[in-house]
Amino acid sequence: MKINVSRQSVYLLALSIFLLIFVFVFSFAILIPEGKEYRKQRMQLRKESIELREYNDFRDETFHMLKNLQSENRHIIMAFDNTFKVEKFQQKYKEYFSALKLTKLSKIKDENDFSLYEVNSTSKIDSPVSFYNFLEALNKSNWIISIEFPINFTRENDLISSSFTMKVHKINKMVKPKE
Amino acid sequence: MMYSYIKPRKKSVFTPEVKLVVTFFSITIFMLLSTYSFLLYKDYSYKNDIALSVDKKNELDIEITDIKEQIRRIESQKVVAHKIYTQNSVLKESIQNLFDLVPQRITLSKAELLDNGLILYGITPNKDVYNFMLQAPLRSIFHKTYSSFYPAGNGWIRFVSTNYMKPKKKEILNDED
Repeated sequence: MKINVSRQSVYLLALSIFLLIFVFVFSFAILIPEGKEYRKQRMQLRKESIELREYNDFRDETFHMLKNLQSENRHIIMAFDNTFKVEKFQQKYKEYFSALKLTKLSKIKDENDFSLYEVNSTSKIDSPVSFYNFLEALNKSNWIISIEFPINFTRENDLISSSFTMKVHKINKMVKPKE
Repeated sequence: MMYSYIKPRKKSVFTPEVKLVVTFFSITIFMLLSTYSFLLYKDYSYKNDIALSVDKKNELDIEITDIKEQIRRIESQKVVAHKIYTQNSVLKESIQNLFDLVPQRITLSKAELLDNGLILYGITPNKDVYNFMLQAPLRSIFHKTYSSFYPAGNGWIRFVSTNYMKPKKKEILNDED
């Protein structure tokens, strides 16, 4: 039996097979791997977005904590940042003393975040109560000052002469936080 | 000589069947290429977004580290400030207690407050007043108490009271370091 197939049909069949093979090869070799890559990237982006949101939330939380700390400790931060001025100190605390003399401020050492300065003081007070009041006022001052031993009190007629060392703590400029 | 009564038609390659097949495959290939272009574009866009996200994360990381450092510094300032405030308050209480300790009958002429001791200079009407009213409470506070007396000239007695406390263990260790 002879099958009569026209040449045109053969061409048509060949073209169809060629295009079909092209579609399959394109799909399996290019399109599907690209689709997989697309899904992978989409998953990755979703993961990154979640992480970014978490980072953002954490940053906001930490920033909020910082702002709270700054507002709660505003006085302490300012006191550590203020530069100690002998004249200013004398002006502020002269009310507690009959006479107050301070030596020049000298730097002792750097301690982690802080620089430590020392100033020697000689003063005259009319009663120990003035000194107690001075110590109380010192904790509310514009500087962070500690009174160090030795402290000497000597009676001089009606007055008490006192001498003591004050240590002024200042935030180290080298590691000063950014505003 | 004519073999047919009709005029011969022009033969074309694009028969209706070919057109149908070409149209079908054109649409298919167009759809595949469109999908591929879409995927390529999205892939590129996702990669860009991921890179941006990573950059933003790095920026946030640096910002968080900076904020944490500021928090650490403020906490450290807070601790130091409170330590100093407490130290000043304790010092005030100690000096107040010291002066309260001295009885009316004894007059101090000098007081030296040391890191681990106290030296008092003064006059007392007699040794008994000093021993019972000043030395006894000082003995209960300090570990070592020494007293020396010499006459003041007006019948009263001058005294020097030297009192020391044992250094704390921590201080000893610091000294050894």
